[in-house]
Amino acid sequence: MSEPDLAVPLRRRAEQALGDRFLRRALDTATTKFLELRRESFGDFPEGETLRDRAREIKEATLQALDRHLERLVEAIERRGGHVHYATTDEEARRIVLDIAKRAGAKTVVKSKSMATEEIHLNAALEAAGVTPIETDLGEYIIQLAHERPSHIIAPAIHKTRGQVAELFSKALGRPGLPDDPEVLTRVAREELREKFLRADMGITGANFAVADTGTIVLVTNEGNGRMATSLPRVHVAVMGLEKVVPTMSDLVVFLAILARSATGQRLSVYTTLVQGPRRPGELDGPDEFHLVLMDNGRTRQIAGTLREALYCLRCGACLNVCPVYRQIGGHAYGYTYPGPIGILLTSMLNGPGAVKDLAHASSLCGACVDACPVRIDIPRMLIELRKEVAERRIAPWTERTVFGAFARVLERPALYRRAVRAARALQRPFARQGRIARLPALFSHWTKTRDLPAVAERTFRERWAELAREDASGSGTRP
Amino acid sequence: MTARAESSSNDRPPRPSIAARTEFFERIRTEMGKTRGLFSARPAARPPRPAEAIETVQRQIAERWRETAQRFQREFERVGGVFHRAATIKDVPDVIGGIARERKASRVVTWNPAALGPDLGPDLVARGLCVDVVAGGNPGDVERARVRGVSAVADLGLTGVDVAIAETGTLVLRSGAGRPRSTSLLPPTHVAVFDPTALIESIAQLGLLLEAWHVPAPADGGWGGMITLITGPSRTADIELTLTRGVHGPKEVHAVFVEAPFRG
Ligand code: SF4
Repeated sequence: MSEPDLAVPLRRRAEQALGDRFLRRALDTATTKFLELRRESFGDFPEGETLRDRAREIKEATLQALDRHLERLVEAIERRGGHVHYATTDEEARRIVLDIAKRAGAKTVVKSKSMATEEIHLNAALEAAGVTPIETDLGEYIIQLAHERPSHIIAPAIHKTRGQVAELFSKALGRPGLPDDPEVLTRVAREELREKFLRADMGITGANFAVADTGTIVLVTNEGNGRMATSLPRVHVAVMGLEKVVPTMSDLVVFLAILARSATGQRLSVYTTLVQGPRRPGELDGPDEFHLVLMDNGRTRQIAGTLREALYCLRCGACLNVCPVYRQIGGHAYGYTYPGPIGILLTSMLNGPGAVKDLAHASSLCGACVDACPVRIDIPRMLIELRKEVAERRIAPWTERTVFGAFARVLERPALYRRAVRAARALQRPFARQGRIARLPALFSHWTKTRDLPAVAERTFRERWAELAREDASGSGTRP
Repeated sequence: MTARAESSSNDRPPRPSIAARTEFFERIRTEMGKTRGLFSARPAARPPRPAEAIETVQRQIAERWRETAQRFQREFERVGGVFHRAATIKDVPDVIGGIARERKASRVVTWNPAALGPDLGPDLVARGLCVDVVAGGNPGDVERARVRGVSAVADLGLTGVDVAIAETGTLVLRSGAGRPRSTSLLPPTHVAVFDPTALIESIAQLGLLLEAWHVPAPADGGWGGMITLITGPSRTADIELTLTRGVHGPKEVHAVFVEAPFRG
């Protein structure tokens, strides 16, 4: 699939994706597999539900004292000889990293999968400054060679066939005639990238967590590229959103126990790397310099904002896999760094609600994402609020404004909503095929044409909402 | 700071301005002020005496380690590891020799004996292997460059294990003097040797240990800047979801479990 152009309207991008048969098959296979693995891994893990509640509580409590935890993190990192930098905007974050690279005389940089550096479009900035960034996660490497963007948070090259990868490697790496065998292609990538790891001056990574108590940056990978990037080059820079801090090691292990299960169905990812500052006396490898770039980029504004809960996100990708819209159109159609339901919220967080005037509607509000989310982020609730915001400012396309304006009004009046849902249930019957609605008549047709609505969920949003309200009233709920 | 003095870059790393930091935190506090009292804040409980707690746990496990070792084996094999059992440390060179022979591996890089526990070097050499032992203590740049070179070409990396988690089949390795990060990373085959004293049951217990390792604030005591959890061989599924091993790290991970304790 070629890069979508943001000038192309969302509806058209989605239509393009829907017309791409391989993409749809690949998406379906991948998301279904991730879902199955996730279900299995939580199936034999009875304490999982408690741990999810616990994880959510930790995120909430951490935000309540965010300044204190960040201060402790900074202090612990500096005590170990590391450096902490503060980036309020994406522009500042890029400047800080470029500055570190320049002072270190870095020519080649190896990168380990990091959504945070995607978010600030760091690679383009590095290239412009004469520094060569090399993505080392196999999926990222593939799309970097193809000059594309990730289409899934944890499986960035999900949209490429093995044949395409073979062709790409043959051409880009000057190794003609490579077979379309993943085993061979992976070995080729190992050889190419091993060379780069050993030569690189600087390693740039993201961070899945940072432990305030101990000044520890935590990286979770399956391939080992995170270990390479933090062990071999002489400078390590971690770029991290400020919401990734957790107070203690005891908190960290709660997240470790559920993160990989939610993402890939593993109990733990293959490598969990705890980085504590630069190389210490006696160590035979590890960087001379360690830098943490603490990045705000729109996050702080949400501490008291509509999207506060989106700050809990672990970037596990589970909500993408369950989302009926993502499963149909894939990551690229969303048009921004973060795809899927959570991606809509994060895009609004980073670029303002204007950026999601169409996207805010690329969800059927079926609630599957909340159930899948390890920290139970209420994505539908925030999407509705975003839609309201967008509709109030009159930045949505006319039909969507009407539909969702009506939707919001209906939501606020329970009786009306119940009647509407009953009507929808009755209405959808003739149009539903295998639990999906392919077409709705009249008013809705513009919407479902590109959206293949899932049939109204068994538990409706309203019913779920009522449940939440009860939980809150009884004081046992942890949702704000 | 000592680490930085050895830095090969001529310039000092950039320092953030105090103003940038103050402003950054001010903005956070302002926003936090708007939500005070609106959300529940139940801070996480930290175990009061993690060192004692984990000691008790490990003592209990030591009494019934066979069960725990079995569980470890099951999970380790489930994630694609190869499990070996040895009665005593004296049997280990044969096990490693066997692994090397099967893979036609000849070059071995190993942690320093002080970090590993036993000195297996001579016995491995006697089995026809070419063994590079990394230096302990605080060697300089020359040894660093040498270790990097030999690790990059070694067929097999030999390390100890600080903790083995039964629930997940995970090996936990701390970096430090005589225990480079790259020994378990660069060679295509990683062999880790440990005994029952390394066993713990769960990720929750790992939490206790991680607390214990950092309280009080670590006297550096030879420990390095990295703790690595290894759960199986390096893997990827980035090409059409086809599971492939050894993309960056080792293609094979072997656990050699020695029933008779050999560590202090
Ligand atoms: S919102 Fe939840 S499910 Fe989605 S990526 Fe974030 S943590 Fe995972």
